[in-house]
Amino acid sequence: MRWHKRLLLLTAAGILAVSASACAGGQVRGSQGTAPNTTAPPGTAQPAGDATFVYAPHLEVVTEWDPASSYSNEIIAMQNIYESLTRYNPQTQKPEPRLATSWESSDDGKKWTFTLRSGVKFHTGNTLDAEAAKAAIERTKKINEGAGYIWDAVDKIEAKDPTTLVFELKYAAPLDLIASSGYAAYIYDVKATDGDLKKWFAEGKDAGTGPYTIDTWEKGKEVELTLKAFDEYWGGWEGPHYKKIAYRVTPELTTAWQLLQRGEVSFVQRLNPQLFEQAGSTQGVKTSQTPSFQNLLLLFNTADGPLKDVRVRQALQKAIDYDGLVAALKGSAVKANGLVPQGLLGHDPQRQPAQDLAGATELLKQAGYGPGGKELTLKLTYAQGDDDQKLLVTLLTSTLKSLNVTLDAKPLAWETQWDQGKSKDAAKRQDVFVMYWWPDYADPFSWFVNIFRSADPVSFNLSYLEDKDIDKAIDALPELTATDRDGAQRSYQDLQRRIIDEQAAAAVPYVQNYQRAFSANADGYVDNPAYPNVVFVHDLKPTA
Amino acid sequence: MTRYLTRRLGQALLVVGGVVALTFTVMRLVPGDPAVAYAGPKATPEQLAEARRRFGLDDAIPVQLWNYVRDLLSGDWGISLHTRQPVRDDLLLAFPASLELVGAALILGVAVGVPLGLLAARFNRGLPDFSVRLGSMLAVSVPVFWMALALQKVFAGDLGWFPVAGEYDYRLDTTSPLRLYTNITIVDALITGNWPIFTSTLHHLVLPAIVVAAYPAGVIAQMTRAALVEEAAQDHARLARALGFGETRVLTRFALRPALNPVLSLIALVFAYALVNGFLVESIFNWPGLGRYAVDSIRSLDTPAIAGVTLLVAIVYVLANLVVDLLQGVIDPRVRT
Repeated sequence: MRWHKRLLLLTAAGILAVSASACAGGQVRGSQGTAPNTTAPPGTAQPAGDATFVYAPHLEVVTEWDPASSYSNEIIAMQNIYESLTRYNPQTQKPEPRLATSWESSDDGKKWTFTLRSGVKFHTGNTLDAEAAKAAIERTKKINEGAGYIWDAVDKIEAKDPTTLVFELKYAAPLDLIASSGYAAYIYDVKATDGDLKKWFAEGKDAGTGPYTIDTWEKGKEVELTLKAFDEYWGGWEGPHYKKIAYRVTPELTTAWQLLQRGEVSFVQRLNPQLFEQAGSTQGVKTSQTPSFQNLLLLFNTADGPLKDVRVRQALQKAIDYDGLVAALKGSAVKANGLVPQGLLGHDPQRQPAQDLAGATELLKQAGYGPGGKELTLKLTYAQGDDDQKLLVTLLTSTLKSLNVTLDAKPLAWETQWDQGKSKDAAKRQDVFVMYWWPDYADPFSWFVNIFRSADPVSFNLSYLEDKDIDKAIDALPELTATDRDGAQRSYQDLQRRIIDEQAAAAVPYVQNYQRAFSANADGYVDNPAYPNVVFVHDLKPTA
Repeated sequence: MTRYLTRRLGQALLVVGGVVALTFTVMRLVPGDPAVAYAGPKATPEQLAEARRRFGLDDAIPVQLWNYVRDLLSGDWGISLHTRQPVRDDLLLAFPASLELVGAALILGVAVGVPLGLLAARFNRGLPDFSVRLGSMLAVSVPVFWMALALQKVFAGDLGWFPVAGEYDYRLDTTSPLRLYTNITIVDALITGNWPIFTSTLHHLVLPAIVVAAYPAGVIAQMTRAALVEEAAQDHARLARALGFGETRVLTRFALRPALNPVLSLIALVFAYALVNGFLVESIFNWPGLGRYAVDSIRSLDTPAIAGVTLLVAIVYVLANLVVDLLQGVIDPRVRT
């Protein structure tokens, strides 16, 4: 037999063998899912009864299904499956009812009483009551993974009656805000299984009260996750609603944009400024631009090196071209007004940083540097692969060069950058540490307690600021927020003055902007920066 | 043949052993703490300590190497820091889709490359030869991501002839559920007669397969042409001509078989190359293969996952070479010596 005929025979035998084994059975992909509307492309107008909302995230959706531990990108699905006691409204800067209909705190902010909504069912079929909510929070607190620390202030929880939940705190804290957290505040049914609950969740099951429940989950697939309507949802399904959600992982922005244009997806999480501009003038596509709660910080080394001199730190603040940088970022960022972004308590719109090269030159001169003075070299570290940070570094390097300051900037992976910043050896640390910060719940306390409160060993206090008065003021913030919001507002503003103006421990060039593009058929979309990248799909109305 | 086979297997094992040692060294040389990558950017010291303990990062380096090799042999390829799943499971999920794409691309590459090489050799130094050489040079040198974006924009976005992205229409999962045997969608659809998924996958495969096939088709055409031109000048081809066979018959009947030997070796090489080259293409076309996994792993400094992908590619490369060596041994017994 000729050689190629032998090869052909071998291939045919292989195919036959595989076909024969096929008769022996096998796993079925996608069989558990509910039937979608197959007559119209997903994302386009469909009969309201069975419309599917297709979300195009650029990263894999689920890494952790346990609502106690979840602390990653799955928030975009979890917030549609699970609910917390309250939900933050960035317009009013206050939490609003969700599973709790009302709440009150004692005068000292150490005792909080929440009244729960009646008639709420878990997806498991069990009814939500105060005991169930207590059990969920206690389990999250005990596991203490991810953002589980948010419940640290809680000393004791009591279920007084089926709808009354009482928290006793170790110290005063704004529990209504904490309970609105995007992570670790979910209320779930701990009685979902008699076995190991963590393993049960890991199989892709849920025990929430939200409008949607898990339909299919296929890790690694393009459509990684689909959710279907929970018929007994307390919010009801009257009127037009999306009955299904599909998460179609699309790493490339251009691909996501093409899919949106063709009506194959309903919502694109992120576009670059060029595509975003194009989306703004495309028929059938709507856009939304909202400042996030994530800002960029330049933390100056207040403890060692040339930046120990406050005048040099102030000169650096003045050297930054805030307006030029934001213009160069083409809409992906807005100028920051201090440490606290818009939409949070403590935001100070009066703060308008601006470049002042004459002021910077004068301060450098006073410190012995600047044009004609000693040459100054500063070590700066920033995130590898972050184009926005790279742009900042490029602009700043060029500006400082004219002031006789050389910026030795190194892009590093976060792990390396952070390791270097935390080093016990001062010589290994940088002069300027560039990083993003965002809160886990809608409260600015996170910036102050983590970044500017004295810390030994260093964790995130990468300006190495040590100021007892500032520490004292920071420690008083939780109680003030819980008992006197106006007082807290004043205190946050005062702290920003001390940290940024007096100590010059940091500069805040910009707040990142969320630039979304979505189908014009999805009516009612509002971006809520307290829940990064989340679309609350039940709130939307599919229109023709 | 047994001696030949043993020798080739020994060499393959040596290569895999070398890759294991290299990946371990690189994993340890990469600056940064993998515990931070696992526990997250805002991890507390306690959470970091727990992550270090879990991954054995506090052990001495020789102990870590020993544990790594032992775990690999027992099928434990570590836990991915970004998916939090066993790396082996992640790879098993993603690899079939990559195999599907690269397999389709190679079939396309051979189906286009060999005839084009034949055409170029038949009209050596003529216009067809010049065109094939120019075309194959272009196919080899155009960056895949550019070609992928261009084809996607024109043929999917503007003309709408092909889908923009995906492996098949996901809605078919509920209307025509696919029974899985090999986990390679198109193969499973074919053997179970699931025509809606089969045709949808074929339709989705066209653009990414063309992009991945460009490089193999180009080099296969060039190699086939060169090998055929050389074989056509040998005595046995001259004899065939003297016996009255036409030039096309001489090439296809007498020169093609010996000329395919170097082409087969090349196919093994381009297979592994196409697998890695396909990572970017997978990312652009949302193809659920190793590409997305590799890109996410690199982005999140997920060293166990990066090591897993590296090792898998090395194994595929070694296996492909082994298969080709054996095939060459069957086709041409002279190579066994």
